[in-house]
Amino acid sequence: MRRVLVALLLVAGCASPAWNDADYGKKAGATAEAAASSVALVRLAVESEAKLTRPYLQTLLTETATALDSVDSQFGAVQPPSRRAAEVRAEITELTSEAAEQVQVLLNEVRLREIRDPERAAADLGDLADRLRAFAEEHPS
Amino acid sequence: MKRFFAVTLGILTAIGGFVDIGDLVANALVGSRFGMSLAWVVVVGVVGICLFAEMAGRVAAVSGRPVFDLVRERLGPRAGLLNLAASFGINLLTLAAEIGGAALALELATGIDYLLWVPAVGLVAWLVMWRVRFETMERVFGLAGLALVVFLVAFFALGPDYGELGHQLTHNPSDDGAATYWFYAVALLGAAMTPYEVFFFSSGGVEERWTRRDLGVMRANVFVGFPLGGLLSIAIAACAATVFLPRMIEVDTLGQMVLPAGLAFGQIGLALVVFGVFAATFGATLETALSSGYSISQYFGWQWGKYVRPREAARFHATLLVSTIVAVALILTTIDPIKVTEYSLVFSAAALPLTYLPVLMIANDPDYMGDRVNGRFSNTLGTAYMILLLVVAVAAVPLMLATKAGQ
Repeated sequence: MRRVLVALLLVAGCASPAWNDADYGKKAGATAEAAASSVALVRLAVESEAKLTRPYLQTLLTETATALDSVDSQFGAVQPPSRRAAEVRAEITELTSEAAEQVQVLLNEVRLREIRDPERAAADLGDLADRLRAFAEEHPS
Repeated sequence: MKRFFAVTLGILTAIGGFVDIGDLVANALVGSRFGMSLAWVVVVGVVGICLFAEMAGRVAAVSGRPVFDLVRERLGPRAGLLNLAASFGINLLTLAAEIGGAALALELATGIDYLLWVPAVGLVAWLVMWRVRFETMERVFGLAGLALVVFLVAFFALGPDYGELGHQLTHNPSDDGAATYWFYAVALLGAAMTPYEVFFFSSGGVEERWTRRDLGVMRANVFVGFPLGGLLSIAIAACAATVFLPRMIEVDTLGQMVLPAGLAFGQIGLALVVFGVFAATFGATLETALSSGYSISQYFGWQWGKYVRPREAARFHATLLVSTIVAVALILTTIDPIKVTEYSLVFSAAALPLTYLPVLMIANDPDYMGDRVNGRFSNTLGTAYMILLLVVAVAAVPLMLATKAGQ
């Protein structure tokens, strides 16, 4: 009965548990990959910002901000099984929070008028995407 | 000359009307993850839809009745009811996905949240179904959907690596496992052979009063229009494979899917592609809503169709209205329309034999078809497809569960 209850709670929470460090590492790697994909997309859009319309860019950035939030909250719902896993969690959370923040800043700029410094924003996003990919490679999913 | 224009117009309408939200989502998603390695599924799907749409159109032209009007008569009420329940459920899910797609296109154009557009899309769709003539409705949205040709032109303008794309045709570039690959193959087949396309094509033939003399025009629409529509689907995947795959970007929103057109042609490309997506999804909204009305009315023997006054087909129009309201309500729950599309594709794939088996049976029945029954070629190919569709139907849901819907 207890197992059934636990299973139901896990399904309801839409987050599968991590049974050990390796499993947790895989989930962290998958989170990094998803975040890197979102960041790379925003970078591509920012690089071509002059070609795109403002409503389109605003929608694209809003979608990405939502996707990053969702990635973050899904991973955040998984409890780290050990101290080592908690360190991994801190590392990936820092990266995903930075991604969410950068996208949010860009979204605010687009809402106000336009991206202030697209070249610099693209470079920062490129750097962040590289760090996320490096993390994903260290923790293959 | 007049006949030539009629054929050309029909073909153009078929091309523009071929792509819907399912094709857009499935092809862009597959292109970004698997490159061109699943393009063969689109080819298999297009051959299948051509084969069965030709049969369904022939049944309509020869018997003057759409295929699903004959299903209950030919298979009996129980088998007919099973067919109706499966097809109506999937149709409703597809209708919700199309309404969501049209609303998302409006969000891309205006920046206003798609949820605010959903009721407006539903209302305008209902008004169009209520007031606009069938032929006008089909032509306008089919031709407007041709704006999606921008994907094909964008593909060449993006300067793709043809060698790499060619290599991907036979080598899957993704690290995803075999189950995920086959899950997306099933979804892509579901997108190319969506059941409503046959309901609509067959019932539309009766709405336009096809006779044996129209068989040539019908075949031109099917054998030229549908493959060219399939080419558009492949172009969507090719754009995604060119822009997203090398950058390891996995697309999962409509906004992302249209980006290649913007990168290729700037704001004009973006405006064209968003217009094309709106036309395609809004046109498909009308087709799926009408298909809901057709399938229910034809099963219960009610008067149906837009060729009679609404007052004479009150239950048909009531079904359209209720289906549209239910679909709008589903999207207004804030469920992701792209997720709805993905699930509708898998369930469509699971129900494909229920849709296409009756078509094959009736197109073979001399009582209805006289001398226009299937030839040996159609029957051999049709039987091979039925076996394939049965395999796909059995595999669809287990693959979805095993891969967590392709994750």
